Amino acid sequence: MTDKIDIKNVAKLAALKLNEDEQQQLEKDLSMIIEHFAALSEMDLPDDKISIHPLGMSLNLAEDIASKSLTHEEALRNAPDSKDGQFVVPPSLD
Amino acid sequence: MNIIPTIGMETHVELKTNSKMFCRCYVLDTDLPNESLCPTCLGLPGSLPAPNKKAIEFITLLALSTNCSITNEGMFHRKNYFYPDLPKNYQISQFDLPVGTEGSLEIVVDGEFETVEIERVHMEEDTGKSTHIGSGRIDSATSTHLDFNRAGIPLVEVVTKPLIKSSKEAVAYIEELRQLVIDLNISEGKLEKGNLRFDANISVAYEGDKELGTKVEIKNMNSLKSLEKAIEYEISRQTKMLKSKENIIQETRHWDEKKEVTSSMRSKEGSADYRYFSDPDIPNMILSEDFVNTIKATIPVLPSEKRKVFMDSGLSIEDSNNLGKSSNWIGDFYIQVSEITKDSKASFNFITGELQGQLRKLELLSLPNWVTAKNLSEIIILVNNDKISFTSAKEILTKLIEEKLEPEEYAVSNNLIQENDIDEIGKIVLEVIDSNEEVIIRISDGEDKLIGFLVGQIIKLSKGKVNPSVAKELLLKEINS
Repeated sequence: MTDKIDIKNVAKLAALKLNEDEQQQLEKDLSMIIEHFAALSEMDLPDDKISIHPLGMSLNLAEDIASKSLTHEEALRNAPDSKDGQFVVPPSLD
Repeated sequence: MNIIPTIGMETHVELKTNSKMFCRCYVLDTDLPNESLCPTCLGLPGSLPAPNKKAIEFITLLALSTNCSITNEGMFHRKNYFYPDLPKNYQISQFDLPVGTEGSLEIVVDGEFETVEIERVHMEEDTGKSTHIGSGRIDSATSTHLDFNRAGIPLVEVVTKPLIKSSKEAVAYIEELRQLVIDLNISEGKLEKGNLRFDANISVAYEGDKELGTKVEIKNMNSLKSLEKAIEYEISRQTKMLKSKENIIQETRHWDEKKEVTSSMRSKEGSADYRYFSDPDIPNMILSEDFVNTIKATIPVLPSEKRKVFMDSGLSIEDSNNLGKSSNWIGDFYIQVSEITKDSKASFNFITGELQGQLRKLELLSLPNWVTAKNLSEIIILVNNDKISFTSAKEILTKLIEEKLEPEEYAVSNNLIQENDIDEIGKIVLEVIDSNEEVIIRISDGEDKLIGFLVGQIIKLSKGKVNPSVAKELLLKEINS
């Protein structure tokens, strides 16, 4: 058996508002999914058969040779709003 | 019971590559906004990231130089957050398989060695720059302007374990890391340009407590001075709260440079808030033994090794540490000079004080080729043997930087050789005493500062040839006899 799912926290992380019924239903559904994964991790598999990345290939790194891509005008062309060469968005604070 | 602070540092180091981390846009140092952009760093649909080989070499170099274990298979993750400074809505970073883990860095605090333990060294990309437009307070901004030139520039994040004990230690750590990335030639290391940016995680707890206190993250410290002040402020704020049994909230606080206080920005995110998952666009990065060994072979002389050489020459830990922060040629020059003079402290003082000071004034970045270890040593030896005064040494150095000369010859022909004949000096002392009877009475009445005036008179009468300390000694002997 796996730990109980903190459905309220999961909903908060996913920015979802759930009523009591939905919370109960989703808690049940998610618990079932987690149990399936728990079953998988109990399987006895050699290390090299475990996929830790969806792409089964290794990375080719790119040489550090810079080149010009978009012009300033092209970069800003589709922006809904721009001013003084900058993209303008609604106020946002960090 | 004592309250103990615990500090962990997170430092972002901007690498000096030609192109960005995941695209080949130029890394530009310009005030013109949005000049170096492409579909990848703008997060346009259909674009694909291609990691920069040079950046991976640089981070491996840094991880090796901080004694980290290097992973043989690194993975890139997406760190999701909704904020306009990264147009993809996620930052490509690393999560559970960073390039380096479990390292350490030797630092110098108050003339003693300390070791800072490094938890991880990982690769990520920088964000764009946002400017909040509007009058007055930042939270009454009417719009935000975005420049994405910086978005995608390779950043290395170096995270320490929460084992740093004071603001001084945190500052020494940043100074050491800065010197390291400069010596490794992987970053400009300029704090004022944001090449090095740091956050501090601070908590306090009673001495002996098994668990650390609640962690508070401090952001927006732009200089070593503000880092020191912000940590001091935060330790004292949390200590007061702990003493009065107030609840310390886990949060991110902003250092206000003008008011010199920290203020709450937001509650602290946990890693679950970022919904990390492996970036499906980037395959895992294999760092083979061959690759790591090739990088290992390029490690230059590290700051800790430079310190060791200077200490072996006879300098203190503190002086060795300071000398290590000068340009490499200054350190090499010091070694040559101290071998000739056999006086490490005098050589260090003269080179880092007088010589560097005069070069700075003249805006010279290197020595004229006729200023050699040999003739500079000659000046130091003349002072050490009481043949010339320190004032004369400064004058000879100024002339030497201007033109080729032999220091001792110059001292002789310009009457700078000091009078060391006690009888001759004694005559001048008596002459000065005779013509300053009133001053002698006042000295006898306790006006000790007038002794300096008389020493000045002796030096003046001898036309600067008398060693001031010898003159003072003889003068006091005469007065007290």
